[in-house]
Amino acid sequence: MSGLTLDSVVSRALRMVDGLSAPDVALAHCDIPCGIYDPHYAQIAALSVLRMNQLSDALELAPDLKNKPDQAKYHNSMVRYILVKEEHAEIVKREVRIIWGDYFKPEHAEKYADLHATVWNIMKLASKNKVEMNMQAAQDLLVAVQKFAEMFWDSKGTKTARVPSGQAIGGELVVPQ
Amino acid sequence: MKASRSAGSLVGVIALLAAAVRVLRIGMPIGRYVVEGHSMEPAYRAGDRVLVNRLAYIRWPPRVGDVVVLYDPERRSRRLLKRIAPPTDGDDGALRRWIVLGDNAADSRDSRQFGSVARRDIIGKAWRKY
Repeated sequence: MSGLTLDSVVSRALRMVDGLSAPDVALAHCDIPCGIYDPHYAQIAALSVLRMNQLSDALELAPDLKNKPDQAKYHNSMVRYILVKEEHAEIVKREVRIIWGDYFKPEHAEKYADLHATVWNIMKLASKNKVEMNMQAAQDLLVAVQKFAEMFWDSKGTKTARVPSGQAIGGELVVPQ
Repeated sequence: MKASRSAGSLVGVIALLAAAVRVLRIGMPIGRYVVEGHSMEPAYRAGDRVLVNRLAYIRWPPRVGDVVVLYDPERRSRRLLKRIAPPTDGDDGALRRWIVLGDNAADSRDSRQFGSVARRDIIGKAWRKY
């Protein structure tokens, strides 16, 4: 039979074996986006947590317990704030964890003696923000993430500035200069 | 068909060997890998299957130009496919460290990020695609 080489038979056999037991994965890629890390998103998420506290504080209780549309409106808003707070606290954890685990090297940890403690603090604070509606905890989270952002940029030799977020919630963002 | 029968018996032999290796807890001299990502294009594309010779560097060290599978120095549970690059600072390999780069430099995390790798990080040499 033409086109049937030993190669093609071996290849077919190996692919059948692959079907029985999957081959290992050899990665020929990078973190996406490639080698690009930025604590900006973590800060935005921390700001969102703060904002959700602010909105829920400002949300007035529906006065009439028997008025269903009013009650529904109140609960709908409150649940949204809680949901977004929960989500964004998780985003803070995820973003910080990736930079901490994938970007920071042992030599950074030597240079920034409180790197690990800062990250740990962020994890704890983000969880506290999930558990509670707590403006102070949200403020503390933002401050901790700002500190982390400054460490990150400093490790790259990049100067930073604190600029107003320009968002309704106010607050500041650490940005590279 | 003759071809599928011979392929079938080959599968049997390889599967038996694989089972024996697993039972005996010894390393397979040849590993099967599937490529993920684009950093080794055009030589190796995502989805390519490649056989890796784990015994390739027992007697001789890796050579510049070899494509190797190695443990990701930043996360050892992951394995990478990269190419051995020339030493950068004029050392002749006496340090026994190797620089690995992706062929497709724009989309590769390699020695430019994690530095040189030790011999023990290198699992084997990409031998042939299948």
